[in-house]
Amino acid sequence: MTENLRQTFLSELKEVESREELTNLKIKYLGRKGIIATELKSLSRLPASERPSFGKIINEIKQFIEQDIEIKENSLKKEELNEQLKAESLDVTLRGKFIPFGSQHPINQTLAEIEHIFTKMGFTIEEGPEVELDYYNFEALNIPKDHPARDMQDTFYISEEVLLRTHTSPVQVRVMEKIRPPFRFIAPGKVYRCDADITHTPMFHQIEGLMVDKDISFSHLKGVLEAFLHRMFGAKTPVRFRPSFFPFTEPSAEVDIGCILCSSAGCRVCKGSGWLEILGAGMVNPRVFENVGYNTEEYSGFAFGMGIERIAMLKYSINDIRLFFENDIRFLKQF
Amino acid sequence: MRIPFEWLKEFINLDVTAKEAAHKLTMLGFEVEAAEIVDNDVVFDVNVTPNRADCLSLIGIARELSAAYRIPLHYPEHDILAESGELDFNVDILDTDLCHRYAGRVVRNLKIGASPDWLRERLEKCGIRSINNVVDITNYVLLEFGHPLHAFDISSIKGHIIRVGTPEDLAVHDIRIKTIDSVEREVPDTCLLIWDAEKPIAIAGIMGGLNTEVNDQTVDVFIESAYFDPVSVRRSSKSLGLKTESSYRFERGADIKALKKALDRAALLMKGIAGGAIYGKIDIYPKRLTQLEIEAKFANINRVLGIELTGEEIFDCLKGLGCEIDKLNDGLKIRPSTNRRDLQRESDIIEEVARHYGYDKIPAELPKATIGISLREDRVQHPVINIKNKLKGSLLKSGFSEVINYSFMGMEDIDLLGIQRDDKRRNALKIKNPLRIEDSYMRTSIIPSLIKNLQHNISHGNREFRLFEISKVFTAKTSLAYKLKTASSSDLLPIEKEHLAAIYYKEKAKSLYKEDAADFYVMKGVIEAIFRDFKIYEYSFMRSSESFLHPGQSADIFINGQNELKIGYIGALSPLIIEALNIKAHKPSVLVMELDIEKIIPFTERCVKYMPLPKYPYIERDTAVMVDISLDASSIITCLKSYPSDLIEESNIFDVYYGPNMPEGKKSVAFNVRYRAMDRTLKDEEIDEVHNSLVEYMLAKTNGVLRQ
Repeated sequence: MTENLRQTFLSELKEVESREELTNLKIKYLGRKGIIATELKSLSRLPASERPSFGKIINEIKQFIEQDIEIKENSLKKEELNEQLKAESLDVTLRGKFIPFGSQHPINQTLAEIEHIFTKMGFTIEEGPEVELDYYNFEALNIPKDHPARDMQDTFYISEEVLLRTHTSPVQVRVMEKIRPPFRFIAPGKVYRCDADITHTPMFHQIEGLMVDKDISFSHLKGVLEAFLHRMFGAKTPVRFRPSFFPFTEPSAEVDIGCILCSSAGCRVCKGSGWLEILGAGMVNPRVFENVGYNTEEYSGFAFGMGIERIAMLKYSINDIRLFFENDIRFLKQF
Repeated sequence: MRIPFEWLKEFINLDVTAKEAAHKLTMLGFEVEAAEIVDNDVVFDVNVTPNRADCLSLIGIARELSAAYRIPLHYPEHDILAESGELDFNVDILDTDLCHRYAGRVVRNLKIGASPDWLRERLEKCGIRSINNVVDITNYVLLEFGHPLHAFDISSIKGHIIRVGTPEDLAVHDIRIKTIDSVEREVPDTCLLIWDAEKPIAIAGIMGGLNTEVNDQTVDVFIESAYFDPVSVRRSSKSLGLKTESSYRFERGADIKALKKALDRAALLMKGIAGGAIYGKIDIYPKRLTQLEIEAKFANINRVLGIELTGEEIFDCLKGLGCEIDKLNDGLKIRPSTNRRDLQRESDIIEEVARHYGYDKIPAELPKATIGISLREDRVQHPVINIKNKLKGSLLKSGFSEVINYSFMGMEDIDLLGIQRDDKRRNALKIKNPLRIEDSYMRTSIIPSLIKNLQHNISHGNREFRLFEISKVFTAKTSLAYKLKTASSSDLLPIEKEHLAAIYYKEKAKSLYKEDAADFYVMKGVIEAIFRDFKIYEYSFMRSSESFLHPGQSADIFINGQNELKIGYIGALSPLIIEALNIKAHKPSVLVMELDIEKIIPFTERCVKYMPLPKYPYIERDTAVMVDISLDASSIITCLKSYPSDLIEESNIFDVYYGPNMPEGKKSVAFNVRYRAMDRTLKDEEIDEVHNSLVEYMLAKTNGVLRQ
């Protein structure tokens, strides 16, 4: 009898295809008035000696049915979930919905990189006006009127005394008028010169740097700028300092790096020399210190300046400076 | 300056290759920018810095190499042993401030003709065209010694006199002179000229006159070798717009002492090449050069350079430069040669030591720096740098790419925007010498630049882009201040302000996902996100009256609730401007905004204070009301906020509808209110009561009707 019950249950279970049918089957066998319950009730009609063994058999069948129904239930649930997941399936290869981040202008990326290196070395950042007095742009920097050094820079004038600054060097004087040494700062910004061709634009960017303390030497100038250039262009980049002339520094130096495009072998960009001029520098001319009332016996310092466009052009292999100011989104997006 | 290597070797016994010599010169501060091979010779193109007039010559460059290699320098022959006769010429310097020395010599019976090949070739290698033997010799000596000479045809000089003075000195005006380039030039009254008894015959130090030019018929010449004041030559050269080999050297400073050598050298060459007879010399030297004496201490030299040289080593660096040097115990006393006027004080001597010791030999060391700047109270660094960086970050993340434009604009850009006459954006700074007329003003707004970027990008087929720029704009203090002599120097400068401007351009195009907000709200969202980033919560957007914006889709932006401080504007570009820009065909949507960054600064320095997180749950209620279509969202929010209950945590509008199914002139607004108490869990019944009362209050205030 018990074996029949088991077989009947199994064949009925086999027919079950939905959770509803399974529930019905469950009620039929395990419900309060179900087959198992009925069998258990019939127990009382048996002689007391047979009851325990028969009871045990019925309980075994009950456990067997419960187990099988649970297994079936789980597998039906899984099937249902699979159906649902299948219905919710997306084409994962379709592009996502997003607004691409904007690109920082390559000039400002280069600027930020340079600023980062110098601020790590303890330099602060200063700014100054772009429309400047002749005094700050030239005279305080030891470039008097009618001096041939003025030919080095073509100037946009607003009036006789007011001009668009031709370099970031006037910030040196403005800061020194305000504070006393020791200090070290950089001053990035826009500068203007009356010039336009494939390598010149009427506006471009420079970074000026100044460090003043007791006993600052030319050797320190070399140390700091070498450290900067090695960070910027790689630790193995050759660096050379050669004499030059700026009215506001004495001694003055032009700083070259080994051409990063041809590894100093000589190419079109370095004009075959293997060297690229990258920045101008020098020990602050005592005349400039005198103009801001510093004691030249007590303090010395070095200053440097570099053009950002040139560095960005080298870094990104850009051959026309005007691309920076056309602001074509296809250009900007590359950075 | 062009330096032929073969010629250079006439003055020093160089046993190095041209390449090595070029490298040496570069490392001495005379950058060889190019080395060109010309007829088995190498011609260097040397960049001579403005302080080194002494090196605008073969001998000058040779002197540097002789000092660097510690080898002797040979001068070319320049001693005149015999003269054929006396000089029958007078020189009268009328202006000793502008002409410090004037010497001259007469050479007679010359045969004018072509120069010998060697001379012609050397001049040509240096980029000077051959004229005739006499003129070529003056140029040759100019290249050799760096001292400009001029030869006059004596037959055209009236009265056997040379006078040196300005028209002012001679009390004459409106002087004209035809120079040897056949151009008639009007000469300023302050310009130094050379005159004979009757007329001007040369512009001093710049160019000779055609009337006394040496030509094929010339037999006798007067050679001038003078020293003219550098500033005066420079001013005259600038005002005449005339730059010559001669003016270039005089304005940088000629060698007042060596002018005699150059003069005699030229006379000797003329005798040798053109067969002339050398006559006597005149030399008037009214303004003697005062000899400078510089003391340079060994300790200072070593300290500034960061090296440790002995006195002897320092002396060795300087001895070849032609200066007189006395050795002292702790330093040197130096009397610079007359051609080295750049040597004026100790720092100049330090540079000479560094150059001839070798920049490359000075060790590179990092300074042991004092920490201090970041602790200073009076730091000069403006907080605007940090604000700018933060703003940049926000815009980049919002999808805007950064642009950099020139700071220039034209008045027509302002006209295009329809800016009112009394608007301060018309108070722009004018550049006296702009490169292009469209760039003659400093911009007072960034929008004109962004409009140009818009045009460029559209014309290059770019269909959607977001751009921003953070830059300065410039407004003149008053247009009068520039003209007033009495204005203080800071009044002369304009007001420079950091602005942020952005443009969002989109064409109607098919897209994969649907946009759910009008572009105006996309742009507005960017600004609100920025405010959120700065923890600025009190701001408002009010209809804008900017002339270049769509009147229905634009707003002025205020911070601080009470409409007190306009910090900028946002809006769709007016259809009129779109039409004027000729981009109408693209059916574009163009949104712009501009903010005055400095006005935001005071609101960005708030110190964040932590608020405890709520412990009890909230209850929300949604309600829809029908109100007048003209009632704007901010009025509804303000109204809800004004209801006196401290249980209201937040209220938001989540739906606005007008159109079919709505009475004309009405709209439906649905809002959500979130209630929370800080000290207990709220009960539904309690909130029903508060919310009903809030809705009634709101309907009464707005003349609204509850929607079911």
